[in-house]
Amino acid sequence: MRTLILIALSILLLPLVVRPAIATEIWIFAIFGLGLNLLLGYTGMLSFGQSTFFGSAAYVAGWLLKHYGINVLAALGIGVGVGALSALLVGYLCVQRSGLYFIMLTFALNQLFYFIAYQWTTVTGGEDGMPGIPRPVLLGLDFQDPLMYYAFVVVLFLASLWLMKRIVESPLGKILQAIRENEVRAEAVGYHVPRFKLLAFVLAGAFSGLAGVLYAMLFGIVPLEAIGFVFSGNVVFATLIGGSGSLYGPIIGSFVFIWLSESVSTMWARWPLLLGVAFVIVVLFLRGGVVEAWTRFWTWRSSKQTG
Amino acid sequence: MLYALMGLGLSLITGILNIPNFAHGALFAVGAYLLVSAVGILGNFWLGLIVAPLGVALLGLLIEWAGVRRLYAAGHDYQLLFTFGLALILNELIIVIWGPVGISHLPPALLRGGVDLGFTFYPKYRLFVMVMAGLLVVATWLFLEKTRYGAIMRAGIENKEMVSLLGIDIHKLFTVAFALGAYLAGIAGALTAPIRGLSPGMGVDMLGIAFVVVALGGLGNLLGAIAAGLLIGVAQAVVAAYWTEASTAVIFAVMAAVLLVRPQGLFGIR
Repeated sequence: MRTLILIALSILLLPLVVRPAIATEIWIFAIFGLGLNLLLGYTGMLSFGQSTFFGSAAYVAGWLLKHYGINVLAALGIGVGVGALSALLVGYLCVQRSGLYFIMLTFALNQLFYFIAYQWTTVTGGEDGMPGIPRPVLLGLDFQDPLMYYAFVVVLFLASLWLMKRIVESPLGKILQAIRENEVRAEAVGYHVPRFKLLAFVLAGAFSGLAGVLYAMLFGIVPLEAIGFVFSGNVVFATLIGGSGSLYGPIIGSFVFIWLSESVSTMWARWPLLLGVAFVIVVLFLRGGVVEAWTRFWTWRSSKQTG
Repeated sequence: MLYALMGLGLSLITGILNIPNFAHGALFAVGAYLLVSAVGILGNFWLGLIVAPLGVALLGLLIEWAGVRRLYAAGHDYQLLFTFGLALILNELIIVIWGPVGISHLPPALLRGGVDLGFTFYPKYRLFVMVMAGLLVVATWLFLEKTRYGAIMRAGIENKEMVSLLGIDIHKLFTVAFALGAYLAGIAGALTAPIRGLSPGMGVDMLGIAFVVVALGGLGNLLGAIAAGLLIGVAQAVVAAYWTEASTAVIFAVMAAVLLVRPQGLFGIR
């Protein structure tokens, strides 16, 4: 309950504190993180290629929005579909391997999609990105109004969060967690592990796709970076700083990450340097993420009060 | 051959240390840039070719000692984040120090021009790189197969606990392996500089290729890395002759095709 109140409060307060575009981006990135966390936190698969699905969905839906003027809901549906489909392709190749191989394969296939987007300039615009993506009116709601679009994204975020909560609490979610804890035992109990891993991968891809389309409509452009590996790394980082063990970790991570990167990137063009330093510091000194640091702080405090 | 060199270095690091080294491409790029600076300062290409990779090896030593060493017990996610952070740092430092614009670097006067091979005309420097890379691969292979320390290293890939139980300082072994892998990345970068020129993005491009080589050849499988490196290089060269735009994508396509048929890679057992 406390979490719900916190989320509701942050939804209301956020657009007052930062620009609506950044506030919207935070929730979009949180959807992206929710998808990754199904893999990283619940199934124990570290995918370093989530931007493949994010970017593919953004390009395809963006292209259709731009040239065929499709409906917003159709664009979202297509984005989810493209995200899931590309995840099916990539996942089929990757889920049979685990550990380091899995990480390297997701990354290498991410690079494949990146180079296709980079070279196929007639469609993607290559390095310049694909500009001119509209935000069409839906049922009389004008999404050109930044706050209206913010509200739309927030509704979709809440729906995603609800759906993800249902997924991880369902029998499927429990099987995925069993795979995380002990893959051999899950197999021995009778579950076809690769199939469940693939299913988790496709679900995560669908969430990434949704985030990708919303991102394209938010900025009106699909930049080449949206399918690049740094983007994949960012979402891993955001999820880890939030704490991958919790359903809400990616949300906190997304807050911290987007807010920090947006405020620093305007100050210095070489800000990825600071981002790199932040990665190193978090890894060396703050492992466990914000959620764990928070719980550690609370246990420390309550132990002081009782003792 | 260069791909084989990169794959070999990465295979050593991932195979022995069991970490995903996302900084491998950045080490490659640092090697190339250090060569340019070293040649600029020393005025001699050959000295530069000796100094630059050693600099990268030293950097590798420092990275292992200061960071990677603390992370062996942590999960892959944190190791990945750490090396990825390092890659970002090195990449941005390259831009800060050498500027964002690409640099072209000429091969030494001795190796300019081409040789007539009878059927085709081939640039001298490329021949030199092939020979050099081939020699390095063979030297590394000999080191690992024929020397005592090499045998320990291979044993480290197979079973770390066993090696440390036998009274061998496994952490020293890790440090040496990381430095050696970094050296190989550095010299690959240094050799590449006069062929393709330098740009800050070169490391990332190479990183993807190195991962493909390792995924195809099998972790810690050194002959596999060499074979996969050659396969990828040839595939790329053939495609580049007909369809230049696709020459990078084909690397990953080859990987995907091989994995469809053999999910464990060409020579992988695990």
